Amino acid sequence: MIFDIIIDHLPYLFGGLWVAIQLLVALLAVGFVLGIALALAEVYGPRPLRWFGMAFERVFRGIPEIVLLLLFFYGLGDFYPIEPFPAAVLALGLRSTAYQSQIFRGVIQAVPRGQMQAARAIGMSRAQAVQNIVLPQALRQAIGPWTNEFSSELKATSLAYVIGVVELTRQGRYIISSTQGNILVVFAVIALMYFVVNWLGNRALYGLERRYAIPGYGETR
Amino acid sequence: MAKLLEVEDIRKSFGSTEVLKGVSLSLDRGETKVIMGSSGTGKSTLLRCVNRLDPADSGHVRLDGEEVTDANVNRMRQRIAFVFQDFNLFLHLSARDNITIGLRKLRKMSKADARQRADRELDRVGLSDRADNYPSQLSGGQQQRVSIARALAMDPDVLLFDEPTSALDPELTGEVVSVMQSLARDGMTMLVVSHEVGFARRAADAVIFMDGGHVLEEAPPKEFFSAPKHDRARQFLTAIGEGEAA
Repeated sequence: MIFDIIIDHLPYLFGGLWVAIQLLVALLAVGFVLGIALALAEVYGPRPLRWFGMAFERVFRGIPEIVLLLLFFYGLGDFYPIEPFPAAVLALGLRSTAYQSQIFRGVIQAVPRGQMQAARAIGMSRAQAVQNIVLPQALRQAIGPWTNEFSSELKATSLAYVIGVVELTRQGRYIISSTQGNILVVFAVIALMYFVVNWLGNRALYGLERRYAIPGYGETR
Repeated sequence: MAKLLEVEDIRKSFGSTEVLKGVSLSLDRGETKVIMGSSGTGKSTLLRCVNRLDPADSGHVRLDGEEVTDANVNRMRQRIAFVFQDFNLFLHLSARDNITIGLRKLRKMSKADARQRADRELDRVGLSDRADNYPSQLSGGQQQRVSIARALAMDPDVLLFDEPTSALDPELTGEVVSVMQSLARDGMTMLVVSHEVGFARRAADAVIFMDGGHVLEEAPPKEFFSAPKHDRARQFLTAIGEGEAA
């Protein structure tokens, strides 16, 4: 029966989900580190760096994910042999960098100017002021918009199946073709799995937001 | 004897507007001077040139004979503390940690030592019971007192105040002014931009009157408030309700 098929194939589905989560964590990590670097370059950097940041962001926000995946796997693969998984991390990670840099740029610029001035006035260098004063405030404000990025990238991991990453969606297709059918139920189970991960991830992020909320700040809203 | 703080021929323009047209002044150790003048005469800009938050176009600032330059500015700012009109407490830190962060990151003090020092400074401004409160849980007057404590903790040679009571409700200025008066009594060297005539009368060694980017006169407060030498100063005092009507 159909439920037996699902239960029999659960290890494959969870295996696929695990790959999807690894891909998600890797691409978000790439986007987080490079996104903050790019945002800092755009806000504080010299003009050439700002131009580079803007160009990078335009390019990677302006190309469909699937095209990026194909470019990085087949395109890059022509010059340098690359496995599907790292190609997907690179393609989706750089795209996430572009989006995350916009989140971080926004929250960095939203930190009141007086904060930087006060930090400089007690003798901090600009780098110390950014590290100790500006970023701790900006990152707290970034958690909210960042949950969007988390959700959208979790869903984007499913596209990696086009270059052969055996993640959750591709496992589903394998099950469907090996058991001849059951399309609706298999994809419904997969949909549920994405939904649950998304829900748990968002809950964790909102928890983080509450935990790091600044006492008394913005409470009157 | 050499002056503690020497400001010499500072000029500063924003765009085509020359805000400071060659300003000089000096402070001996332990002196308090109050800078007065109508708004737009460059008082705050002058103060920001002293610690280089706005670098001057030309002129010199020397502390204990050492010139403040781009190269030593971070070190010199630890000796020339600045109190802002709108406090600028670090929003994500408690009152105590607003004070400890400079000690820990710049002085490399241990957590325990920094905490002890912070609590001593909070006590000095009468806010021991507020150490764990965040800026948005404090009144304006309390925030300004924490910001003074933050400045004091760095053991500065000079304290600069940029209109420290202008952003406060009238009933809150008193607590800040009384902290400043006790600092002056304790021999702190202070350069204060303020319209607090009471503070100037009681605590200042001299009043510096600025107009149009120049220092017009400098005199002991008693002399300045009773017999200002310049018409502009007389008009100013009348305008703030201090001088006798002409």
